[in-house]
Amino acid sequence: MIDETVNNLSADDYKKMYSMMVTSRLFTQKVLELNKQGILKVGLHPSTGQEAIGIGACYGLSKDDWVIPSLRTMEAFWAKGVTVLEQLNAVIGNSGSISDGKESFHHCGYPELGIMAGSSIVGSQVPLAAGIGLSLKNKKTNNVVICFFGDGATGRGDFHEGLNLAAVLNLPVVFVCENNLYFQTVPASVGMAINDIADKAVGYGMPGVTVDGQDVLAVYDVVKEAVERARNGDGPTLIECKTLSFLGHYPTMLKLEDIRDIKENQKWRKRDPLEILEAYGEDRKYITSTDIELITKQVAKEIENAVEMAQQTPPTSRESAFKEIYKNPFGEI
Amino acid sequence: MRELEYAKAIREALFQEMGADDQIVCFGEDIALYGGLWGATKGLQKEFGSERVFDTPISEAGIVGMGVGAALMGMKPVVELQFTGLITVAMDPIVNTAAKARYINNGSMNVPIVIRSITMSANNVYMGQSLEAWFTHVPGLKVVVPSSAYDVKGLMVAAINDPDPVVFFEHEGLYKSVGDVPEERYEIPFGKASVSKEGSDVTVVAWSKMLEEVENAASNLESQNISVEIIDPRTLVPFDFDTISKSVKKTGRLVIAHEAVKVGGFGGEIAARVSESEVSRYLKAPIVRVGNKGVPVPYSPELSKYVVPSAKDVELAVKTTMNVTKGNS
Repeated sequence: MIDETVNNLSADDYKKMYSMMVTSRLFTQKVLELNKQGILKVGLHPSTGQEAIGIGACYGLSKDDWVIPSLRTMEAFWAKGVTVLEQLNAVIGNSGSISDGKESFHHCGYPELGIMAGSSIVGSQVPLAAGIGLSLKNKKTNNVVICFFGDGATGRGDFHEGLNLAAVLNLPVVFVCENNLYFQTVPASVGMAINDIADKAVGYGMPGVTVDGQDVLAVYDVVKEAVERARNGDGPTLIECKTLSFLGHYPTMLKLEDIRDIKENQKWRKRDPLEILEAYGEDRKYITSTDIELITKQVAKEIENAVEMAQQTPPTSRESAFKEIYKNPFGEI
Repeated sequence: MRELEYAKAIREALFQEMGADDQIVCFGEDIALYGGLWGATKGLQKEFGSERVFDTPISEAGIVGMGVGAALMGMKPVVELQFTGLITVAMDPIVNTAAKARYINNGSMNVPIVIRSITMSANNVYMGQSLEAWFTHVPGLKVVVPSSAYDVKGLMVAAINDPDPVVFFEHEGLYKSVGDVPEERYEIPFGKASVSKEGSDVTVVAWSKMLEEVENAASNLESQNISVEIIDPRTLVPFDFDTISKSVKKTGRLVIAHEAVKVGGFGGEIAARVSESEVSRYLKAPIVRVGNKGVPVPYSPELSKYVVPSAKDVELAVKTTMNVTKGNS
């Protein structure tokens, strides 16, 4: 798969992507560790094992292109320019969080960076993305929106309506499904009678592509092509990235062995997106083991610094809870 | 002044606003080619083109979800859910997306969408539902319930230009009703009730089509020497409590009437607000609510009549407050 890549990324691009992937991996580890130690009261829905998707899909987007991350697209935030400290503040929900503690990191919006907040209602972001696409098209820009969602979302009416609308209206949307083979605690076969989600595309009249979600460069290639098509006014694409969430749905609450086939999990772990990317980089001489060590150290240090700063960041104020329900408040409803 | 039908007043508001602001777009089922089942959007597509005014598939969740996405990007979508019965399908994007987006973004984004939906008061168990109270229960939404051609135009202009999501309830039974409507653009601010008739004995609060019934009841009562003051809040969120409060202090009696089911209706909220406030000390009789008794609105017009509250029910309620005084009920 890697050898077939058609991208023309430089060694510098490669290092940036690699660094983002390390950031996701270590950031998640750190949050879960601090939670275990009782230092952080909150946990997170880890993207560990799925990191290639958000990075591959979003790398190279412009500031004026939009993304809607799913619950598990931490990487889209890095790729669009959110810092480690901003993310950590958002995870904690303190006064340094962009939402001022009103929403957790995965559904925080950063309008200046082209990140639209999704919601906890699985699949609701799909028609929302059609609306963003409608606006980008109406404004005669050549910008696009990438909409991330999991396999679970594809069973909802929103998915059907959103894809159909995007196709009918020829909107510049790239739908990226993170097919991690499970709906929270049950295998996707509970809710899907087909194997490849990309097959659904034909029913809407748009191209559908299945890609190895463990391979950041393969994802990059496929999404890039879809983005170009959308930019040229040729409409939406459905891309399915096959992957697995190594840590399960929500490890602070659900034990992996209770909700996953451990043998399957171990098999997938042999295809760790981080190791696949490292192997590619070393093969192409984009990166040396010294570089890897250095990047890992730098990222770890950035995270340590962020933890320290986040702990000094005051909690959000009581008043914040009552603000921004309406633009112009009018008192009690 | 020029007279105009309610449906045409909506249409005029849309024409005038769309002409002034190219960020306004309209979409929904049957709204473009046909122009809406009651003509409220007739001619819009011809005037403003199919990029701004278009028909959609039958996809209520998609229509609202897409509208919210476009609104977050700075457009001003006016979307139609053809009947209130169809609102249920779009509850998620209304309640979870539109109403919450400003809040979770801590004020950095607006959702200037108008969600038009049409109430029928008869002949349909689904489309005959008056569901406005549901949306008053969700912080972040504004709820508009216009009762006249004059109000519907001014409130539509305000709704389109409001930075927050507005659920705008039109009424099928009012579309052909005629009233004085200025030709020029005007806006009726949200949260300002209108006193549609002054009176001294009983305050009656009603909105949308129920107001007609209340007006009929009031003229009957007038001939029986009972003077009714009628208040139309026009918007339920924000709600003009002051106007009601002043009126009840004057009359000492309050009746609240709506077509919606009495249990869980917004009338209960108004009654609670009055009883929680100092206004309660002015009450000479218990508050009476008039509403659907808790029956789906049946298909048969004969049966519908028994279910949807009418002028007679209002008359009876007013008389009840006149005869029963506090302490001896």
